[in-house]
Amino acid sequence: MIPRIDVHAILQASIPGLYTDLVTRPTGRVVREHIERAIVDTTVALIDFTGVGCIDYSCADEIVAKLVRERVEVLLLRGLTDGHRMAIEPVLVGHGLAVVVELADGSLEVLGPPESAAALREQLIARQLAHPIAGGALALTAA
Amino acid sequence: MTRLVDVPQQFDDRSFDQFAAGFAQGAASGERMLFDAHATEWASPYGLVGLLAAGQAARRDGADRPLLTVPASAQVLSYWARAGFFEAAAELFELHGKVPRGKHAAESDVLLPVTPVRAAEDVHQVVSHIQQRATAILTSELGIDPKATMGFAMALSEACQNIVEHAGTGGWVAVQSYHWRRRLARRVVVIAVADAGVGFRHTLEPTQAKRFGDRWGDGAALEAALIQGVSRFRDPGRGQGLKGIRNYLSRWEGKIAIRSGTARIAITPSWDDDAPLTEGLSAFPGSQVLLIIPEQGTAKP
Repeated sequence: MIPRIDVHAILQASIPGLYTDLVTRPTGRVVREHIERAIVDTTVALIDFTGVGCIDYSCADEIVAKLVRERVEVLLLRGLTDGHRMAIEPVLVGHGLAVVVELADGSLEVLGPPESAAALREQLIARQLAHPIAGGALALTAA
Repeated sequence: MTRLVDVPQQFDDRSFDQFAAGFAQGAASGERMLFDAHATEWASPYGLVGLLAAGQAARRDGADRPLLTVPASAQVLSYWARAGFFEAAAELFELHGKVPRGKHAAESDVLLPVTPVRAAEDVHQVVSHIQQRATAILTSELGIDPKATMGFAMALSEACQNIVEHAGTGGWVAVQSYHWRRRLARRVVVIAVADAGVGFRHTLEPTQAKRFGDRWGDGAALEAALIQGVSRFRDPGRGQGLKGIRNYLSRWEGKIAIRSGTARIAITPSWDDDAPLTEGLSAFPGSQVLLIIPEQGTAKP
């Protein structure tokens, strides 16, 4: 079972003021530390961004990049908007990291620079976390 | 004794160096400063937050509160009030002249009134506010893709965080939209962020001065931060903020200029003729950041 983390709920619980935006490094740090406590014994995690407004580059780095660099082998992102991707993609490229994005139709897209994305795709299939579907896309095998 | 510092008639990023020269002389004199804006006819957001930074610096080290003679023109006074300037200025200056009473009104051209930035929570408030106010202006008046308006909030967030993370003191941000007749003949949205903190050179000196050797100074520090994406933190993820702002502005033909200490750096689009790097300016404390996003032309970015 892949643990599912509701980022919006963590944000609301962590930051006074009921904000929906993931901005600033201190906020990113607090949210990441919450996530880390929830995924202690796993190498695969699903982070759900549904309900999150804006993400800035600092938070994308503090949460997504640091989790992939230091805590998990496979990070699956759900509920991403185009705006979220604008912050996350450059951060992944900067670090040479890749993550898996679950699209609205349930298919998976590997996000990151080509080499890292290809390596992650291979890993997903080898670990039977995902399987190829029509059109070269992937689908989650177990959630 | 008081030392007079003239506020330029047209007070924006271009005339700021003239203001900074007066400020530097005033600071060197050690006398109480009197900022004279009575003849000022217009101030950009950059001018307004820059003036606050000057007030912040002038009252440092227990110095007497500086004086500010407010603009004589009722129209200018009204505009400064609507931009939220006097609420912040009242904490810094002894104000002289007829200051409009009451709170600033929600104006369509003032996307974000002059707002203090001291902590991460202030950045949350700024980002939350701007998303409610700016989307319509960015899409309908500037022709920016609705999907890209999130990038505007991201750029604003990162610009404000520069204060929280590096200035060592508070600062201010203001965002306005206006028709830039004289310089561009198009509408623009302008983000201005200023503080009178330690500045880029001081922030980066421990990790970068040796690398630059004799070239080290305010200009080299700005170059390291904006062009090379260097941060004072050893964490490899740092430096993303300014890089992200650059990418966003490059996509929308925008401009970024940062003044810190005695230097100013700018990354300019084709419509602007600002110098990439200017050194040897009059010293002014902290950092002053200017972001300009113009109305999109017929050519798609």
